[in-house]
Amino acid sequence: MKMICINCPKGCELDVERAADGTITVTGHTCPRGEAYGRAELENPTRMVTGLVRVAGMRKPLPVKTKSPVPKGKISDVLFAMHQATVQLPVKIGDVIVADVAGTGIDLVATANM
Amino acid sequence: MKTDAIVIGAGVVGCSVARSLSRYNLNVAVLEAGSDVAEGASKANSAIVHAGFDAKPGTNKAKFNVLGNRMFEDTCRELKVPFRRNGSLVLAFGPEEEKALQDLVAKAAANGVPVEVIGQEELRRREPNVSPEATAALWAPTGGICCPYELTFRTAENAAANGVEFVFDAKVEKIVRAEGDTGWKVVCADGREFEARALVNCAGIHSDELNNLVSATKYAIEARRGEYLMLDRDEDGTFAATMFQVPSKMGKGILVSPTVDGTVIVGPTAEDIPDKEDKATTYAGLEKVKAGARRTYPGLPLGKVITEFSGLRAHETTVGDFILGEAPDAPLFFNAVGVESPGLTSAPAIGEWLAEKVSERLGASKKNLSLISKDVSWWPKTSEMKPEELSELVARDPSFGRVICRCESVTEGEIRAAIRARVGARTLDGVKRRTRTGMGRCQGGFCTPRLIEILGAELGLPPEAFLKSRKTAPAALREQETGNWELGADGLGTGNRVLDVLVVGAGPAGLAAAVAAKDAGAKGVLVIERDDAPGGILQQCIHNGFGLHRFKEELTGPEYAQRYVDMAVERGIPVVCGTMVLDISPAKEGETATSVTAMSPRGGLKVYRTKSVVLAMGCRERPRGALMTPGTRPAGVYTAGTVQRLVNMDGIMPGKRVVILGSGDIGLIMARRLTFSGAKVLACIEIMKKSSGLMRNVVQCLNDYDIPLLLSHTVTDVEGREHVTGVKVSQVDDELKPIPGTEMHFDCDTLVLSCGLIPENELTKKAGVEMDPKTRGPKVDPKTMATSVPGIFAGGNVVRVYDLVDWVSRDSEIAGRSAAEYATSH
Repeated sequence: MKMICINCPKGCELDVERAADGTITVTGHTCPRGEAYGRAELENPTRMVTGLVRVAGMRKPLPVKTKSPVPKGKISDVLFAMHQATVQLPVKIGDVIVADVAGTGIDLVATANM
Repeated sequence: MKTDAIVIGAGVVGCSVARSLSRYNLNVAVLEAGSDVAEGASKANSAIVHAGFDAKPGTNKAKFNVLGNRMFEDTCRELKVPFRRNGSLVLAFGPEEEKALQDLVAKAAANGVPVEVIGQEELRRREPNVSPEATAALWAPTGGICCPYELTFRTAENAAANGVEFVFDAKVEKIVRAEGDTGWKVVCADGREFEARALVNCAGIHSDELNNLVSATKYAIEARRGEYLMLDRDEDGTFAATMFQVPSKMGKGILVSPTVDGTVIVGPTAEDIPDKEDKATTYAGLEKVKAGARRTYPGLPLGKVITEFSGLRAHETTVGDFILGEAPDAPLFFNAVGVESPGLTSAPAIGEWLAEKVSERLGASKKNLSLISKDVSWWPKTSEMKPEELSELVARDPSFGRVICRCESVTEGEIRAAIRARVGARTLDGVKRRTRTGMGRCQGGFCTPRLIEILGAELGLPPEAFLKSRKTAPAALREQETGNWELGADGLGTGNRVLDVLVVGAGPAGLAAAVAAKDAGAKGVLVIERDDAPGGILQQCIHNGFGLHRFKEELTGPEYAQRYVDMAVERGIPVVCGTMVLDISPAKEGETATSVTAMSPRGGLKVYRTKSVVLAMGCRERPRGALMTPGTRPAGVYTAGTVQRLVNMDGIMPGKRVVILGSGDIGLIMARRLTFSGAKVLACIEIMKKSSGLMRNVVQCLNDYDIPLLLSHTVTDVEGREHVTGVKVSQVDDELKPIPGTEMHFDCDTLVLSCGLIPENELTKKAGVEMDPKTRGPKVDPKTMATSVPGIFAGGNVVRVYDLVDWVSRDSEIAGRSAAEYATSH
């Protein structure tokens, strides 16, 4: 299976194949992160999710991110959780806004000081 | 409401009539169908004050053209409207057309207009950029240029100061005799009724319809559409005069002319169209403008196009002349019907003449009042003020020190004044035309969100009120006083102290340069930032993917920016925010310090002296105009960066169904962001064969969410009058020309443009730095990032547009170190 690695701007074209015995081989990558990405895209593709959370009493929203990538299938649940949340200021970069967001085991954290 | 006289239509003619009427003992009101003055032909025309050699002798056109032309100096001086008699040239290409020039000479003589014919040599001497094919020309020294909407605004403002009342959103539908036959009753579409003894019909393109409601003498106006291109500010002064070609039956042909704002206008086409509201530009029309303009100006630089627009001329088909005066069978119903070109030139004269007729019939005497109101200077133009005047103004009202529009250098104070004026702005367009905010090369890309904020605060309305339509914002709340913006700490004074390194811009480039300069031993390091907080554009780039090289981890934009802010804070580098650098004057012979002039709300105008400067102003997006996308000009068209700012910083969603034109990285990122925020992104349209953004963004922003990427396609029409309702998209051939028959349609309420970035270099050019035409940034030595001017260095997107912020930081650090070395060795 052909795919483009999204780890860095280089965008290496990977060829990822699963053999009959289940072993996965990745070719075309130029760094270890690329290989890991190719493997993950077949087994459990994940994405970082960045977004916005409402701030109490303000129109300006707070930017947030998942602390690490979440399973692709969970993105809409994570977005829903972001939509539901409201934070009180002040907030610092790295503050946990929603712990274990959408049951992913991953925290939603602030990415700006406000 | 019952008045003496009602003027219908607030274009340049209606406002001129109202202003002249305000000198008599009469109660006068102006009814306007639109939400502002100058909504029709007065806002979209050639901006030419015609000499009067073209109009047929004996016609109203000839008479009022010549009269109006003579009045322009005084009128514009009274109203403080820019006007210049730059003269007009009519070009002849070959012997046939040279004969036609002789016809014009005869007409000019009959009209009393001074002209002379000049030969090719003299023509080339005066206008070196003119086509060598032009063999002779008619020279008319009394031709001029002015700003038509500014003239209309100021005329209206003066009329209002003299007591004329303006009523907007009042579309006249019915005109009948009032009860007891005491005058006229006017009924508007929304049911409002007005009565007046006299009516003056100045309804432009709709003036025939109003006349036909009351008179048996019927007129018929055809909308004659003219499409134009506007070129960016012309520092070289390509043409001194307005360059016409020999006229035809359809009008005066395609002209190329300087404008009073320093830009160059090119156009118009002339096409009779059935729809009196259809102000769309077309692919074919713009091609015609280009071809026509190249005949005069073979070097027409299409890369400098900043916008295109069209206007509708009110061409009367039965008489073919201005129809002025009282209708024969409708007492006290006065007409100004069919006022097409030279209508702008004629307007002051038509106003005087009609006001005299109206007052005579009403038996009104003249007030003991000068027509020139003392209130006419209702908004100061900071860009035209002397430094001392400006400093004084900023001290009185700090909002005049806060620059909102960078391209045209317009301050918050000017914008607020334009909203608070008697006939004040109530829409984004209203502010734009009164102050030039958003009329420069970025066409509002940066300042639109700010403008929405200010308009909302002044008028007491939510931001969404200004996004939905180009039209009406409801009733104004003028008294509300706001302005709680925060200021950055104004650290260093100016006094006798000379800085080592002054950095312009506190984005990643500027902060990286300042940090590197400090680490390299520079003593006085200062950063000046025009925004209210440091961090630059990264503050609105809330997605991740920054910093893999520089910090060996993946950060979001605000996190990356904060790293550099923290580094600057740790080193005690002052960052002066809310301050706009207006000018950089390099050290002259025998001096060591460069002077940097900056303005802020609190500090007013300040001159900093510094041994070296690092330019780090970043870049801006290419606006719609630069792409020459045909169609209407509705609300709902934004550049990707503007949408990013609206959504991520201001919490405003511009629309629900979105088409993205161009596949630049910001467009791709915004496709995902808008999808996350609940919009449906219908497609991303790219004219080239491959995406201009990074492949990883195509994968994670489009493919992940099944958003189609249409390569080798472009938008060929934008639809919708007030707001975007849809776009037409066609496939293009190898020459990027649309292929007939491939057209498809998308229903959408938002069009996002992501068509690349251009380095922002007004300051760089002002400082006399040599530019690189390829990168559109300054020429730099890559080893030191030094520009052609000693002591001036540059880093980041101001030099060239980078893909990665990590390379911005790296090269800006080089610039910072070099600046420090330069400062310590000088």
